[in-house]
Amino acid sequence: MIIRLIIGYFLLYFGALFLLLGAFGLIRLPDLYTRMQAATKSTTLGAFSSVLGVGILHPGWFIKCVVVALFILLTAPIGSSALMRAAYKTGVPFDERTVVDEGKEFFGEEKKEEAK
Amino acid sequence: MILVSWVLIILMIALAILSIELKNLIAAVVAVGAVSLVISLLFLLIQAPDVAMAEASIGAALTMAIYIIGVRKTERSEKDG
Amino acid sequence: MVRKVVYSIFLAIIVLALAMFFAAYPFGKNKMTVGEYYLNHGVAQTGAANIVTSVVLDYRGFDTLGEVSVLFAAAAGVAILFFLAGGTKREQEDLTKPNFVVRVGSRIIFPFILLFGSYIFIHGHLTPGGGFQGGSIIASGFLLLYLSYPGTRTNRDGLSIIEGLAGLTFVVLGLIGLFLPQYSFLYNFLPKGILNTIVSAGILPIIYIAIGFKVASEFAGIVDDMMCQVICRGGGK
Repeated sequence: MIIRLIIGYFLLYFGALFLLLGAFGLIRLPDLYTRMQAATKSTTLGAFSSVLGVGILHPGWFIKCVVVALFILLTAPIGSSALMRAAYKTGVPFDERTVVDEGKEFFGEEKKEEAK
Repeated sequence: MILVSWVLIILMIALAILSIELKNLIAAVVAVGAVSLVISLLFLLIQAPDVAMAEASIGAALTMAIYIIGVRKTERSEKDG
Repeated sequence: MVRKVVYSIFLAIIVLALAMFFAAYPFGKNKMTVGEYYLNHGVAQTGAANIVTSVVLDYRGFDTLGEVSVLFAAAAGVAILFFLAGGTKREQEDLTKPNFVVRVGSRIIFPFILLFGSYIFIHGHLTPGGGFQGGSIIASGFLLLYLSYPGTRTNRDGLSIIEGLAGLTFVVLGLIGLFLPQYSFLYNFLPKGILNTIVSAGILPIIYIAIGFKVASEFAGIVDDMMCQVICRGGGK
């Protein structure tokens, strides 16, 4: 009982911490790509673990919460990758401190594949 | 709860004004979709989950897709005048 | 500038009038006797646990038939419009292929969207939601499939058959009520069953399943028409 409460509250606060960090990242980071990283990775982990924590705290909802968490884990990265690719292809500018642009290599190869 | 609903209402009005003022029509369509998402949250807050579901799936997904296809077929941005 | 000022003055007047009008009615209180009647007698009379469903399909079933036919007319209008537009000239457009993550992910998610939509319209008389909501969720699943695999076409003849059968089910179920001794269209002639079980509320779940299929096929048809306008190369059908 106590162990369940500890695990549940730990997951809940862990998720809330990551959501808060994601919100800070959204404000503090310089350009769209880094902001998307903050808004996706940490938010996915935060939502996932807080929903799971709610499920552990409330055993009647556990299966529903696991389904919701899996769905978050499936959909959030897909949507963000599509958004990021659309932004790259329409030419949203980088921040001037950017060091390396790996997208050029990656999407260039993708174009070659389409041409085949 | 009342505070949350007021925040959502102000957000909704701001998004609606944004959707009128934006010149890039794709961005305006995205703002319209966000308006209907906020409306569906408001419906959920006043305990109307049936309407919230319909609003979220029709307003935020299907209508937006139809608008975007329409924008693709016509002009991308609004002219001044 | 003057125009904007005039507009804002008019807008302020309208908002003020609306606010004064609605301030007279307290929100969330049962002012209307018919609403109180539905809340008190709805569950006992229709056997549906979801009171919204009992209003939409039982007390106001004829209006729902009208809504469904309006939706049908809209879908037919879109189809006719694009058929006429397709006859003249069809622009070619280069759609970039969606990336690997989107393709694989949507292939995984699509069956779950179908499952969720059918859950919503099958449980329409028990939980929130119903035919319209479930049907539009299924159609948005089809939209996801179209966006991730731009070459997809659905089987239009199959869609028309599903749509026609679903509409026919609704109308025939309504007409059966006319031949019963009670003489009313959409009379709930099946037994009510036990509250809160899946087989309850007589004909309401059957009608909601029919509406779900009809709405899903209509919206999928509209999406198919519009995506085909963007994607189809050359003539096509």
